[in-house]
Parts: sequence; C-alpha cells; structure tokens
Amino acid sequence: MVSNHVRLIKNGRLELDIWRLFDATTQSIPPHDSHWIVKFDTWKQNIDEFQLAKYPIAILISSDSDLSNLPNEFLHDDLLLGIEFIAIDFPNYTDGRGYSLAQLLRNQYGWRGELRAMGDVLIDTIHYLARCGFDSFLVKQGHDPKLALKAFEAFTVHYQRSYLKPELASE
Amino acid sequence: MYIYSEVDQRLVEQRVAQFKDQTQRFLNGSLSDDDFRVLRLQNGLYIQRHAPMLRVAIPYGMLVSEQLRTLAYIARRWDKGYGHFSTRQNIQFNWPVLKDVPEILAKLATVQMHAIQTSGNCIRNTTTDHFAGVASDEIVNPLIWCEIIRQWSMLHPEFAFLPRKFKIAVSGAVKDRAAVGVHDIGLQAVRESKGVGFKIWVGGGLGRTPIVGKLINPFVPWSDLLTYLQAILRVYNLHGRRDNKYKARIKILVKDITPEVFTQQVNQQWDLIKNGPDKVTLEQVQEISNRFSWPQYDCSLSDYDSIKNCKENQKFNRWLRTNVHSHKVQGYASVTVSLKVSGVPPGDITADQMDALADMSEKYGFGELRVSHEQNLILADVEKRNLYLLWQELDLLNLATPNIGLITNIISCPGGDYCSLANAVSIPVAAAIQQRFDDLDFVHEIGELDLNLSGCVNACGHHHIGHIGILGVDKAGEEWYQITIGGRQSGANQKNNSNKDFSSGGAAIGRVIGPSFARDQIPQVISVLIKTYIRLRDSDEERFIDVVDRLGIEPFKSDVYSDPTLTQPIKHKEVIGGQ
Repeated sequence: MVSNHVRLIKNGRLELDIWRLFDATTQSIPPHDSHWIVKFDTWKQNIDEFQLAKYPIAILISSDSDLSNLPNEFLHDDLLLGIEFIAIDFPNYTDGRGYSLAQLLRNQYGWRGELRAMGDVLIDTIHYLARCGFDSFLVKQGHDPKLALKAFEAFTVHYQRSYLKPELASE
Repeated sequence: MYIYSEVDQRLVEQRVAQFKDQTQRFLNGSLSDDDFRVLRLQNGLYIQRHAPMLRVAIPYGMLVSEQLRTLAYIARRWDKGYGHFSTRQNIQFNWPVLKDVPEILAKLATVQMHAIQTSGNCIRNTTTDHFAGVASDEIVNPLIWCEIIRQWSMLHPEFAFLPRKFKIAVSGAVKDRAAVGVHDIGLQAVRESKGVGFKIWVGGGLGRTPIVGKLINPFVPWSDLLTYLQAILRVYNLHGRRDNKYKARIKILVKDITPEVFTQQVNQQWDLIKNGPDKVTLEQVQEISNRFSWPQYDCSLSDYDSIKNCKENQKFNRWLRTNVHSHKVQGYASVTVSLKVSGVPPGDITADQMDALADMSEKYGFGELRVSHEQNLILADVEKRNLYLLWQELDLLNLATPNIGLITNIISCPGGDYCSLANAVSIPVAAAIQQRFDDLDFVHEIGELDLNLSGCVNACGHHHIGHIGILGVDKAGEEWYQITIGGRQSGANQKNNSNKDFSSGGAAIGRVIGPSFARDQIPQVISVLIKTYIRLRDSDEERFIDVVDRLGIEPFKSDVYSDPTLTQPIKHKEVIGGQ
C-alpha cells in the first residue's frame, strides 16, 4: 500500500510532497524557511521582497486567474530564479481553465520550470494534464497514485500535434 | 466513408479500455459517484428515467452498412430491439445496463464507432449537411473537413472540461442544411479567388437562450482552420462563465463581452499559434481524403431512365416529390428514408429496419447512408432507374412515408417518456399531430413546413427553429405546451434570401404566439395555424414560413386565441418569455 502522503508524481515517479500553502491573511509573506507555496496575487504584490528571500518559493495560480494582462516577458526575468515551481489549482476536475492556463504559461510566457497540477487531480485527468504541459501532479486523496502513474500510458497515440506526448512529459 | 488508420483504431480501443477501467472502479466503489458522473458523460452515458442511456456518435452523420448492422446487433442484444436517432446525428440506446456498456463500446470499436464526447461539457460530435458529398449545390465537400475536425477535437487535452457543451456544424453547400447559425461554432465553407476557406459564426444556439450566431470572420483559409478553432475554444475555456450553467454557453460570453471584443481576443490567441504545428497542411488533407472510400459512380447513366414510366402511381409520385433529392452526379438521386411514420416516436428505428436498410444501401448504392439532424436516414447514391424498386421495398417496411419537409416529418426529442430532464412528453404529442394530419393529400397541399417539438427548454427537438415550434413546459407539476412560429434553421425564405440573410446564416428564432396550451389542445392549435396559413397564402408557392415572414405572427395569434375550442381551458399564464 502506498502511504496516503506519497501522492506527488514527479519525473515519472512517486515522491513525498513537503510543500505547504502559505496563508496570507495574517502576514504578507511567509517566514524565512523553505517549501512555501504562495498564491499568485501574494507573489505579485510582494515581488521585491520575494526576490530577497533566502529560499525559493512556489507560486499557486488559481483557476480563475487572468493572465491575459501580463506582459509576455513577465516570466523571463531574473526573479524567476527564486521560483521552485508554478502550481495551478483545480478546485474541481471539471474546471478546465487550468489546462489553458498551463498552455499560456508554457507557450506564451515561456515557463520551462516545473509546472504542478494541484487540487482535484484524478487518475482520469492526468493524461490530459501531462499533454498540456504539467510535469508534476499532486494526486487527490482517494485516487491511487500508482494507478495515476499508469494513466500516462492510457493513450499511446494522439491527434493534436501541438500538445505533448505524455511519455515525454514524464521523462 | 472514412476508413480508420491504425492510429484512429488504437485511439478508440484505448478509450474503450480506459472507460472499462473507470466503470470497474465505479462498480467496486473506488471511484465516487461524483467523480464518475462527468467521466461517463464524456463517453455518452447518461443515467436516465428507466436505465442508462448510451449515445453513440455517428460522426457527421455518415454510416456504412456494416455499422448499421452492428447497431442492430446492439439494439437486439443489449437494448429492446430498437434505437433512437437524435437531432445531432447520434443514435441513442435507452435500455442498456451499466456493466454491459464497456462491452457495447468494444463492439462498436470493431466497426470504427464510438461514444466519445457525445455528452458532457466538451466538443461534441461535429455535424454537417445530410447530403454532404452528394448534394448538387455543394461548393466544398464538408466530409473531409468534418473528419479533420473530428480528429482534432477527439480527446483534446485542453478542451475536455469546458464551461458547457460545445457544438460545431459545417456546411459546404449553397443551401445551409447544417443550421450553422444555431451552433456554438458554425462553419460555412466557401470557395473564393484566394482558395477554400470558412466563414465563421460563433455563439449561436438554442436551449434556454436562443440566439443566432455572429459572423466573426468572413474568411479563414483552410490551413488555419484548426488553429482558429483552437483560439476560439481557448478564449471560451478561460473566460466562459462557470458560475451558472444556464449562462455558461459561448453565446453568453460573446454577448456579454460583445462580438467585437471576443473576436479581438480570439485574434490575439490565434496570432500565438497560427503558424504552429496544428496548421493544416496539404499532405494532411490529402491523407485524410485518401482514406475515404469515395463512391465509384457510373457516369454513363442518363438522367431519366425509368422514372417516367412510374408517374402514374400516385403514391410513388408523392414519395418522389418529397423524399427524393437531386444528386451531383447525373442519373443518381439521394433518398430520404422517413422515420416519421404515424404512431412511432420520431427518429425511432427497429433492429429489423436497420438490417433491412443496411441491405438496401448495398443493393441500391455503395453501402453508405447518412443520418439527418431531422432524424431520418438517407440512402445517398441511388440510381434513378432503381427508384421504383427501392420505393416498393421501403413501402413494405413502412419506411416510405412521403412526408419529408412536410408537417408530419416532426422533429422531436424523446421527451418525458424517457428523458429525466423533460418537463413534458413529446412523443404522444407528435403522434396526436400526425393523426390529425393523416390525409396525405392535405399534408402535401400544406407544403413545406418544419414542425419541431422539445420536451423542455434544453431544446433537443430544436423547437426554436421550427416553422412551428412546440415546447413542453412545466407549470405547477402540469404539462403545458408553448407555441412559436417563424423559426427557421437557415435561409428558409428564398424570395427574400438576400446576401444579408446569407451572411447571418439565415437562421431565425421563432416567436412565442402567447399563453401555452394543454396537451390535448395541441392538434387543434396546429390545425388553426394551418387554416390561417392556407387562407392567407397568395399562392401554393408561398410557404407557411413565407406567410409568417410577410404578415408577422399577429393573424395567426388572433385566430388561435379566438378559436372557441381553444379559449376555454386556458387558465395558465405563461412565464417562459424571460428565458
């Protein structure tokens, strides 16, 4: 049995996830220690401070985020050095905005680092997620992460040429 | 007919395997009801009033005999011996058992069929003209483009979970028989000096908020079709409303942000991807075209042959007038097999009829059939000299009702007898109207008339675009029916079919004539509408829809609401207007 805690898929393997979400209601930025995920708005409002942070942080983008007003080069800056990964939240697996947001991050904004799917991530959606550019996946409770790993191979052929083949995504 | 490549076949088989696994996980309790619901919908499986309903895709309405025989087999083995053709070129089975569905899908895959994306908030089965490839007024053969769109939209990783369902229709002929004006995206293929391209309408649709689509681009070159579709879908996926399912269709987004702003956003996205890997190439088009088994016509046939010999048969003659259609190749015709016989639910077909039609499609053609969104079947390539023989065979099977384009060719959803969404029944209403109009001479005298019937505002019977539309509504637990007139699926009014009409697709939404009626009043309401029409038409040539166009709904309304047999029981004030 896989432990309930080991449900992060990264580099085609299962890993223990030690990142935690920062709650910005009491302080504006997290304490100076490692493995904090901050929301996109928190990050945008405090970019300068985050640049000085000792540890890299992760950014969580909500499914209703509007990325369309950002300049194309907003991610090409030095400040990216401090970002460990970008995560996109799926509040419900039927909310498909995250797929398009991932495409924008990958293709319009050129994000080459780790892109993580969080929230309502199912065995049954992993394949689509991988094709849209996600390369790490926090599988939701109740969905066997080992079966999720196998789902990369659910389809070995695809029609849409501009989207990744999952075996490449999980390499 | 498009013949699957190895890739096509493998994809469908892998989807069957995936769905089998999902069903097993659901049945053994490791996949929750909530998680399974949308996954099964994406594979055409509803939980309905009596049992699950499985909707099988008939991509762009094309069927071959072997596929029809397989549908017959499925109907016998897993259903009650019949199937129901929907208004979107699909077939529905109303009685399968959930645990059998993976096996049914596996059976379908053996004849290159599937149920992928026949439901759910994803890109649905792309529909087209039921005379695609054979119509005499065709400009561009839409079949190839439909197949290109089928492949592109199938298991699309970015657009599997849209705000709401998404329907694309393609027309390639002068007369739009695909109703491009009332789809989320309507494509009209055009041939201009710069080559083949598409006019693109967005945001049309029926349902609760019937709207005619907006032309957002008058010419997208064929090579840019998929990237342009991708840009539209991306804007919709990101910005379509998800807080209210009744406002989640693309038509609401287009209306809210205006077609101009929507187009601008589409163009922004398009610029990023238009020269990317999804640009359509000539090789790709040729490859797909080559995978079609195009009919090998006999070009030596003359145009008259035996038709003239049979004109004395009045029954056959009537059928010739309504159910036989012109063909692009001399000596051939397309034949509509009417599934609208009185007493049978519109679009229903028995397994025996399926088998017989499969045989006939081989005997009288190239084994190819089409399913129309008017819920009939088409034998696409019949030699004219064989029409009389074919008619005799069809007549024996009760499939030669000469009512195509006429009032008894009722387009209807399954309604409250089967569907758990419906507010009211539709099949008994359709039957009552067909009984009222059982005099074929009179039906032919009335002439061209589209009568559409939906059991609820979801509008599966496309009532808004019927020349006469009937909508079942629920008022305090009772069934009522609201009547609209003047709707049309495309440029119906040929006299006024100016360029302006064509540029809006020519579709129009019917107007409500007033308070709704009880079920048993409906045949009388229709009778009054028809009497009014016959009184007011200037000649036999002027159709019902033309008279409504010319005079408006007032004369019809006033006749209906002053009819003594109709006035009495109307006690209920209608509320639908706001929807």
